[in-house]
Amino acid sequence: MIVAKRKPMNEIAEMVAPYKNITVIGCRSCVAICLAGGEKEVKMAASALKVKNRKEHRDQQFETLVVERQCEKEWVKEVEDKILGADVVLSMACSLGAQTIADMYPEKTVFPGLNTGFLGVPEEQGVWSEKCVGCGDCIIHLTGGICPVARCAKSMMNGPCGGSSNGHCEVNLDIECAWYAIHERLKLQKRLDLIEKVMPPKDWSTGHYGGRRTYVREDARLKQHQKKGKEAVQ
Amino acid sequence: MTDRRPKVVGFCCERHGMDAAVLAARSGRQYDASVRVIQVPCSGRVDGLHILKAFEDGADAVFVIGCLEKNCYYDTGSIEGRKRVEYVKGMLAELGIEKERVEMFNAASTNAWAFPEAASKMVEVAKRLGPLDMGGDTR
Amino acid sequence: MSSGRIQVVICRCCTESPKLLDIAKLEAAANDAELVMSVKVVDEICDGKAVVDVAREAAEKEIDRAVVLACHKRDVSPALLKAYRRAGIDRSMVEFVNVREEVVLPHVDDPEGAQKKAETKLKAALGRVTMLVPLLTETEEMRTKNVVIIGAGVAGMAAAEAAARAGAHTVIIEKSSRSVKAPGILMSNTRLVATKGTPGNYELTIMAGEKTEELECAAVVVATGGGWNSLKGPLAKASKDAVPLYKLSEMLQAGHAPKGPVVIVDTPDPTGKSLKVMDFAWDEALMTAIDVKKKHPQTEVFMLFQEMRAFGLSEITYKEAAELGIRFVRYDRTGVPKVDPKDPTKMTVTDLAQGELLSVRLGTLAFAAIPANPDNRDIADALRIPMTAEGGLRRGGIQRWPVATPRPGIFVCGSAVFPKSADAARAEGEAAGSMAAAYASKGTVEYGGSVAQVAQEKCSACLTCIRTCPYEAPYIGTANKVEIRRQLCQGCGICAGICPSKAIELLHYTDDQIQQETRTMLGGDF
Repeated sequence: MIVAKRKPMNEIAEMVAPYKNITVIGCRSCVAICLAGGEKEVKMAASALKVKNRKEHRDQQFETLVVERQCEKEWVKEVEDKILGADVVLSMACSLGAQTIADMYPEKTVFPGLNTGFLGVPEEQGVWSEKCVGCGDCIIHLTGGICPVARCAKSMMNGPCGGSSNGHCEVNLDIECAWYAIHERLKLQKRLDLIEKVMPPKDWSTGHYGGRRTYVREDARLKQHQKKGKEAVQ
Repeated sequence: MTDRRPKVVGFCCERHGMDAAVLAARSGRQYDASVRVIQVPCSGRVDGLHILKAFEDGADAVFVIGCLEKNCYYDTGSIEGRKRVEYVKGMLAELGIEKERVEMFNAASTNAWAFPEAASKMVEVAKRLGPLDMGGDTR
Repeated sequence: MSSGRIQVVICRCCTESPKLLDIAKLEAAANDAELVMSVKVVDEICDGKAVVDVAREAAEKEIDRAVVLACHKRDVSPALLKAYRRAGIDRSMVEFVNVREEVVLPHVDDPEGAQKKAETKLKAALGRVTMLVPLLTETEEMRTKNVVIIGAGVAGMAAAEAAARAGAHTVIIEKSSRSVKAPGILMSNTRLVATKGTPGNYELTIMAGEKTEELECAAVVVATGGGWNSLKGPLAKASKDAVPLYKLSEMLQAGHAPKGPVVIVDTPDPTGKSLKVMDFAWDEALMTAIDVKKKHPQTEVFMLFQEMRAFGLSEITYKEAAELGIRFVRYDRTGVPKVDPKDPTKMTVTDLAQGELLSVRLGTLAFAAIPANPDNRDIADALRIPMTAEGGLRRGGIQRWPVATPRPGIFVCGSAVFPKSADAARAEGEAAGSMAAAYASKGTVEYGGSVAQVAQEKCSACLTCIRTCPYEAPYIGTANKVEIRRQLCQGCGICAGICPSKAIELLHYTDDQIQQETRTMLGGDF
């Protein structure tokens, strides 16, 4: 899932300082799960800002709410009146949610309350680690289910490098060497033949490096006469 | 220096926290009457949001008191309570608000000194740092 | 939503309160408050006559909730709550304000402050009581009276005997083929695989030999013992003939002469953190060493240790051991015992007292420290109970339940918790067996009341509550959202405090109720 974390409160406070009516919108999906932008975090952020206002004798009004998935127009549309009624919107969703609101209401200033990080998994409660960089051409079937693009510091295709030491990475001794892990995994699966295969240089054009990506499913697209309302003639 | 009495609120667990407070009172221990207590079943019930709301609603200092961590009536409740307090400390610090204004205490039901000590410590913090809405710079 | 017909009872606490507080002012404040239909000032609410009087007026005025200003709620006479119940007021609708211990006793020099505090507390309690709803409890029948004991060792047998004596139907499941005389049913070659169900109605899935079976029970006692038979660590690996202390003891009991020199080392993992040498290990080690020396005075006995923990009366044993000629060698991590890879009968260690490298011939090598039972992981997983950092099964709070886990109806005893002597294990087994039998004999389980409740439309299924709850109450239900097993919920509210989507409320302590109370407390006069 997408893993994000709240911006430091002082950064958020500075962003919203000039405004009187602030709507804080969170999301019930990824950011709630990684404890960054669910209803609780939204309410706590607003409350903390109010505490600061109490100290500095500033008066601001905060409206707090969450939507199911902030990156979907229909969910955002449901809270349109709260967005339009505010001086600014503080989005506590990932950047996708913040941008969705910004794109839907271009006259409105939308602030990102979170720093969107990466695609990650919860290793344990409270610890999320990156395991995929969205390269667009998954090869983990060749590496025992471990992604070297995300988990190797150098994204090597035929590792390990000379810096691998006792199963750890020379860049950071706390990180496991992905290729050591891949080797051990393939050994367990009795597929060490895969590690002997030399992988060619990766075609990075399927990843973000090739530019901003768009996936289209033609069979899922609505034909013009299927669309309703304004979108039919956009 | 302000004449306003410090406003201190404590979230007290109904088990060892409250037992300790009751024992303290029965042992004749005294503390400042400006300390008000809100009972919760377990310090783990306390949401960081409750602590922040307490500051919003006028508190100068907030504390949470629960069982000793190795002897929590609800097993891991006071461990959770402490984590909530630490997180709020972090948020306050980021906003330039003194993090000593919120604190976690642990007590056993037989500690007659624990509750008055916690209460006095927070009153002292509230007096020393001044009321929150004075911006802390009127000394 | 403010509703209700409130009765306020102000107790003078046997004239203690009026010494400091102006009771008349409190009475006036109560009378002025919204929704208050009756105000009674009494000298002692614990007095039968006062209770009758209060309850009569409550019934007359059709009161549905009450605020009682008295002392600590656990000390107020239960007669009051019983009388209220008869008058139709559920005990969950009675708010107690501890004026005595929170206002009168701790603020004797500040009558003004105490008065303000009392008035604010009254106001907060009135606000809170208008937000309360009666709590519902349910009961469930226990389908069986079975107490299942896992493990037929010292602790397990003691548990079985105690449980059987108390009238429970005992079923002992034992992983080995060992046959012992046991009260109840003994299932050998049987292991626990998984558990389902709720306290009083647990369903255990067991492997009896090759067959999978289901076993229903009311309570479970875990007595799986210590890892007597598994030694891990570089020293154990290096010396294949090394034995746990237990085996050396058995050898002596059976009349066999151990091959000398007998070397007892504290742990097979001297540099590691994996093995903590528990205090008991030293008592048993000293006594075993003395046993060797007494039975075979010519055999040399060495004890290699980092820290000798013979405290209290064990000092006498330590002295006796020394006087018998047992040689004590203290080492530290700069010179740990090592077995010569080329000659596994030779052990070297740096003797801190002499500062020299000592070389010892190994006749019999024994280790005092006992690792945890490796089965504990599977048991903990199957029963969903917590473990200690050393690999033992963790108890719930020791003061409340010395032999119980956080899950109601599941008890743990003996070396499964941490290694202990046979006597201690037997005592714990007896305790656990009795408690399990007492639990099973209740026949019904009552649950509910102040429990957690999930608003599923808000739940993100993030699994946080499931991971954090000590009691395994939340689970993912059919809607792929969290539901609460009310039979397991203990009402602590940890889940409510942690839910990132604010989907869980704790009945009787909801966010609104707590925040309203906080606001009122802070809004009052200080």
